[in-house]
Amino acid sequence: MAASTPTPTAEPLDTYTLNMGPQHPSTHGVLRLKLTLRGERLVAVEPVIGYSHRAHEKMAENRSYAQFLPNTSRQDYLSGMIYNFAWVEAVEKLAGIAVPERALVARVILAEFNRISSHLLWIGAFLLDLGAATPFLYTFDDREAIVFLLESVTGSRLTYCTGRFGGLAKDLDADFPRRARAVVVKLKARWPELVDLIEDNVIFLQRTRGVGVITLEQCRTWGVTGPMLRACGVPYDIRKVEPYGAYPRFRFDIPTRPEGDVFARYMVRILEMAQSVRIIEQALEALPEGPILAEGSIGVKKRLKPPVGTQYYAVESARGAYGILIVSEGGTEPYRAKFRTPSYANLAVMQDVMPGTMVADAVAILGSTDIVLPEIDR
Amino acid sequence: MAAPAELAAVLESRGWTAAPPTAHPVSGVAESRWVAPGHLVAAAEAAKEAGYFFESMTCVDRLDPHGVFELLYTFNRWDAPARVAYRVWVPKDVAVPTLSGVYGIAAWNEREAWELFGVVFAGHPNLTWLLLPEGTEFRPLLKSFTAPPPSIYDDSLKPPPPGVDGREHADADG
Repeated sequence: MAASTPTPTAEPLDTYTLNMGPQHPSTHGVLRLKLTLRGERLVAVEPVIGYSHRAHEKMAENRSYAQFLPNTSRQDYLSGMIYNFAWVEAVEKLAGIAVPERALVARVILAEFNRISSHLLWIGAFLLDLGAATPFLYTFDDREAIVFLLESVTGSRLTYCTGRFGGLAKDLDADFPRRARAVVVKLKARWPELVDLIEDNVIFLQRTRGVGVITLEQCRTWGVTGPMLRACGVPYDIRKVEPYGAYPRFRFDIPTRPEGDVFARYMVRILEMAQSVRIIEQALEALPEGPILAEGSIGVKKRLKPPVGTQYYAVESARGAYGILIVSEGGTEPYRAKFRTPSYANLAVMQDVMPGTMVADAVAILGSTDIVLPEIDR
Repeated sequence: MAAPAELAAVLESRGWTAAPPTAHPVSGVAESRWVAPGHLVAAAEAAKEAGYFFESMTCVDRLDPHGVFELLYTFNRWDAPARVAYRVWVPKDVAVPTLSGVYGIAAWNEREAWELFGVVFAGHPNLTWLLLPEGTEFRPLLKSFTAPPPSIYDDSLKPPPPGVDGREHADADG
């Protein structure tokens, strides 16, 4: 049939399209990149997302504030604790609920452990993308210690749901500080080894230095945040800029690197883990006694009716600035909930960063963004 | 003057702000201004010149009492708590100018608002589905959206054709 004959296009034949994903092992979840290539050089990159869209924003409108709690850590399954606490804290702010001191400090400890475990998984997976299998085993061994510790407090290994409006579901037991310190000791002992293994490796340096440089202008246009922005020399961290919870009372630095390349992003995350450990050590010292849940408040069964209003609340997740916007019309359910997820912007900037680079570097650049697709698709 | 107040003053001095159509308050932001849709692009350019990055855009369905969508843009800076909210009140079936020429990430946010609510953005380079399957015809985040239509990708909602999975034999055996 004549109608089915492909019509010749005016496009020159020297470019061609390559699909990376949605089943590619280095796309970390289900992401498809439509790469347009000329030879081995990328001309255009189009991320195709939405494969794991679960309509979290619609679900939030159909259930009470407390019923939405389990959804939160399913957005970013690698730093679910931080996302769970973000929702709890946003609702506390909207409804004006006070939180006991012990719960505030305990949240910081749990969230920082979760941040380290997320970074550890990223280091392992990223190096696996680059062809190095050994670091993966090292980082998973360390990560397992953290996961085991968090499991002992929350009952879950990955999708934590331990935040409650007004505190935490379960108190830290008397033995927790000892176990937490033991994990910290284990982490600290392993890091020099990890650094020797990775940063002195010539192949790693050649594949990461000067590759995938992001400019400040690109960061601003696309809204890049988190370690990706700090690797461009900007010390932007919500924990410092808009301090929340118990963070103002702990001393820590914001590591930055000026280069903006893949290696800088790696270094920033390595240095950040040391800062998280610093926070954890101070918090364990400062952990006050007292109730873990506000007196008479809240449990999950109480019907919560926040006043009419819109609340924007931001926290620093392992990937960048995570924002929650809740619109309340005074009902028991949110009228609208919007999640500003960091990976969304950090992936979108790739349309601008990747063109001009070699296709062999595409995996290194994509891996360095530390994207979590369920968080982008929501 | 702090940066957010400066930006708000620029908006007001150039007449880009609009009268508040509702008293619904916004907290968690340093400054919040209603912007007329016609001045949205100019106001976003002013934010970019002042060093702001595009943080988020939220579409809220206010069709039921007001017949409008509320678009809430937030912009932020890297140096201080400086979140500025622009709120735009858009009547149904009126196109909003796109911000994708000013901020690249706006293109994705606008695609989302289009597929989930049906808000049309004039001048958008590629206003197509982002999160939903291509060809989706319903707008799931509208308050008027109720029953989920069966997905063309999900055949669990339909009975399997007879004889495909041996079900007839199993039934016959009792």
